[in-house]
Amino acid sequence: MALERASLANAPRQGRALPAFALIGWRWISYNPAAAIAPVLLPFIFLLFLHLIAPTGLFPLEVVGAMLFTTQNVGSWVLGDSATWRLESAIQDLFVASPLGKVRYLFGIAFSNLIAAAPALVILAIVLAIVAPPIPLVGWAALFASLAILWVLFSSIGIAISSRLRSQREIWPVGNLTFTTLGMMAPLYYPLSYLPPIWQKAALFLPTTYAALLVQGSLGLIATSPRAMAIDATLLVVSAIVGTAIALSIYRWRDA
Amino acid sequence: MAASHAFRGLQAFTFTELFVQLHEITAILTSLVVQVILLIFVAILDPKLIGLALMGAILFSLFTLGQRVQNEAAYIRIDHKLDQLYLTSPLAPESYFFGMSVAVLLAYLPPIAVLVAVTAYVTGFSLLTALILLAGGAGLWLFSCSIGYIVSTFFRDMRAIWSYASIFYNVFGVLPPVFYPIGELPAFLRPVALVVPPSAAAGLAQWSVHRSVLSGGEVLLASVALGVEALLTFYIAILWARRSVREP
Repeated sequence: MALERASLANAPRQGRALPAFALIGWRWISYNPAAAIAPVLLPFIFLLFLHLIAPTGLFPLEVVGAMLFTTQNVGSWVLGDSATWRLESAIQDLFVASPLGKVRYLFGIAFSNLIAAAPALVILAIVLAIVAPPIPLVGWAALFASLAILWVLFSSIGIAISSRLRSQREIWPVGNLTFTTLGMMAPLYYPLSYLPPIWQKAALFLPTTYAALLVQGSLGLIATSPRAMAIDATLLVVSAIVGTAIALSIYRWRDA
Repeated sequence: MAASHAFRGLQAFTFTELFVQLHEITAILTSLVVQVILLIFVAILDPKLIGLALMGAILFSLFTLGQRVQNEAAYIRIDHKLDQLYLTSPLAPESYFFGMSVAVLLAYLPPIAVLVAVTAYVTGFSLLTALILLAGGAGLWLFSCSIGYIVSTFFRDMRAIWSYASIFYNVFGVLPPVFYPIGELPAFLRPVALVVPPSAAAGLAQWSVHRSVLSGGEVLLASVALGVEALLTFYIAILWARRSVREP
């Protein structure tokens, strides 16, 4: 008994969650190449479609939109992984019983899914550098900061929703509805001014809208001012903090 | 299998599966998400294409029913292992596959009917267009459900299905000219598009509105390709259903 207590006391309380989840992410795409191909291919299919129906001048803006949308979709994959592990594999209890904690679990799954999205983001960044006007350093900084904020926010939303699902069948439709709708409500692939007035007002409630406005402005793809960009950046951060806080309050880590 | 036993239990299984599908109200309500998004893109960026895109959305909706069959067949087999119960009953294997396909069609018809009503309101149909949408849609449904069922039998993990399904239905449903005019394609790609079922059906629907978009030979190519592919994949799916039931 004493020996058991001593070995428990020596059990690791800290771990390297991110490298462990990175390995999970890498092994998943190495076993299942479609999981890596789909995030790369789908934005390009949409881009080709948009290229055919939209004015050519919008193409750089559409590439930025594809980057933001891909990052947002990480939330959908987080939802899928988290729900599958809980409902099908029943291994969430293992994580709950470990020293991991719910926030590190969230970041772990988000990080493992970011690995699957990374090739798409790198290719899109290269395309953007080719097709857009010369991008200043501050433009790249605004782009990657916005991607990071959306990654955290939508991963939180994904894991929060996943914790409320009761069946494997719900994963795909709920994820599709939530993330695709949120993505398309925001002006990711076109300027905000293209939307009907009432839609423009509704879009202002979405963090993704501020990410799009900030990035489009900082890359010089739409006319804006430093003051407007500062407001967009502030609203992006504030709405993301509020959204993440709401998501984490909905997120059920352990069964009651 | 004796001919008299072919499709045995089809009606009973179709209704069983229909009731199962009708419980999936979220999936039914969200079945038009991608189509609506593409229609929004078209409405915002090139509104004059909206009539054509609406017809494409109807055909795309029928095409993506194959994804529902794929998910359902995989879910029943992988998660519930219910297929073993169904297939050791007097239900014929082809009734299992085809009953599931019919049930999915019936369950998802209401949203498609809404799309048809919107199209009729926005652009109107000629009789020829309506007939082509009906025949083309039926061919697409048969093709995609057959492919969906066959593909579902290869997976051992539900999580792996979504990425493959996503690639398949977007590459064949969004990339070819289903939501945009076939005339946008370079000449050398047109025959390729006309043998891909969704764009074959969409090309025929576009031809029914503007006769100049396809030549007589192209109309023939699209019609024959769609018909042959639908019937051939259906036949293969029946054989596959019968074969896979004997698997250990």
